[in-house]
Amino acid sequence: MLSAWLGATLSGILLGLLYGLAAIGLNLIWGVMNVINLSHGAFIAVGMFASYFMANYLHLSPFLGVFLVLATGVVLGMITYFISLHRIISAPELSTLLATYSVSLIIIGLGTFIFTTNPRAIDITMGSVSVGGTVLPMTRILTGAFSVIFTLWLYYFLYKTWSGKAIRAVSMNRDAAELMGVNTTMSLALAFGIGVALAMTAGALTATIFPFTILSGGGYELKSFVICVLGGLGSPLGALLGGLILGLI
Amino acid sequence: MDQPTLRVESLETGYGEVQILWGINLEVPMGNLTSILGANGAGKTTLLRAITGILPVWKGKITFQEEDITRLSPHERAIKGLIMIPEGRMIFPEMTVLENLEMGAFNKKARANLKKNMEHALALFPRLEERLSQKAGTLSGGEQQMLAIARGLMAEPQVLIFDEPSLGLAPKLVIEVFEIIQKLKEEGITMLLVEQNVHLSLAITDYAYVLAEGKVVMEGKGEDLEESEEVKRAYLGV
Ligand SMILES: Nc1ncnc2c1ncn2[C@@H]1O[C@H](COP(=O)(O)OP(=O)(O)O)[C@@H](O)[C@H]1O
Ligand SMILES: [Mg+2]
Repeated sequence: MLSAWLGATLSGILLGLLYGLAAIGLNLIWGVMNVINLSHGAFIAVGMFASYFMANYLHLSPFLGVFLVLATGVVLGMITYFISLHRIISAPELSTLLATYSVSLIIIGLGTFIFTTNPRAIDITMGSVSVGGTVLPMTRILTGAFSVIFTLWLYYFLYKTWSGKAIRAVSMNRDAAELMGVNTTMSLALAFGIGVALAMTAGALTATIFPFTILSGGGYELKSFVICVLGGLGSPLGALLGGLILGLI
Repeated sequence: MDQPTLRVESLETGYGEVQILWGINLEVPMGNLTSILGANGAGKTTLLRAITGILPVWKGKITFQEEDITRLSPHERAIKGLIMIPEGRMIFPEMTVLENLEMGAFNKKARANLKKNMEHALALFPRLEERLSQKAGTLSGGEQQMLAIARGLMAEPQVLIFDEPSLGLAPKLVIEVFEIIQKLKEEGITMLLVEQNVHLSLAITDYAYVLAEGKVVMEGKGEDLEESEEVKRAYLGV
């Protein structure tokens, strides 16, 4: 009885960590630039497909490919920032909502056209660990561990590097950061890039556990919003904790 | 007179459709303390925002170290050494005092001398040293102003611009701020000071401009303006 409870709890924690990672990207963009990124879910789905194609065509393990997804995501996110957000970043919030919603529609529209909405799954077998009668697949354990690693990495980046500190400064006072020599446009672009990259990373990891379609991001986007509210804005660790709460209930 | 390091020529600008500045001419010579005086709403902050690039210039030209910087973005001007301690301090409240000082040293040249400049800044403001790991938002108003000045010094300014550094401070702290400015002047730092505190400013300034309704209405050496009854009555409301 107790051991079954322990297994279920562990499973919930691992899933919660992944939810937390998915939420961190949304949290970062919201906290730094006051933009509610409605393309968050679409980018999660893009990450799922990226992981899938790398596994199937490049025979790259999703747990290695995820680093490639992260790097690609930063670039993709920064390009998206300059195309869709840069000119309206100081406009009222409705403008940025509409802009990110359009990005979402474009991604999902193109994705549906190219990939259809048939479910796909990554064919991956990595064994499992049994905890008190509950079988925990290795993939689930790894996704949890990777979620923690990426969260700690973001923490390190924001608090220990010049670019990260610049992003935090911009989130507190953009004019003051600019007056100190920070190229705040690049900081905003980078923040959006990292937010998108983390969404894609979460998607890439999720795809090793669950089947998915181009529409799957929506559910995770909704969870991410809930987590942002639970965990508090502007703190990566808060988001991870929020994810844990959601994973356990 | 020394070679001007910062020169503003026929500058016009404003907000939206509303023009605030009407052809400002001003020079900041190397090593000097230059002041801009004027009543509330005269356009002093607007002028500084145009000089640092936060507010785009409509007409006119800004030259810094013989280079036309009129179209440069604020961070590009800051990297060249044009550093402003803005009105209202604008410290980073959720960062620690230490992180705020580090942000001052963001540009690559200052970053290389971070340690040395930090020692210098903390020697000027010993009270900050005790609070290095405290969140800047929890400092008192006076301490926040000291932090804003220290952060500006961390940037190794070629020209240091102050926008009303004594605003809202208790009299004792006002004196302290002016003592710091005096000290920096003795170190040879080129400064442009905006103040409403006419007597204290004129006492330490080399040259001053009086601004009213977006125009320079009078200029002269500090001691000359201080003696001018006209300045006091008409423009400074003293
Ligand atoms: N952001 C703004 N938008 C519109 N008008 C402004 C803005 N800031 C200042 N003003 C106006 O510009 C004029 C000059 O203001 P300011 O430069 O702040 O004066 P000072 O610093 O000399 O007190 C004032 O009439 C003020 O109302
Ligand atoms: Mg002002």
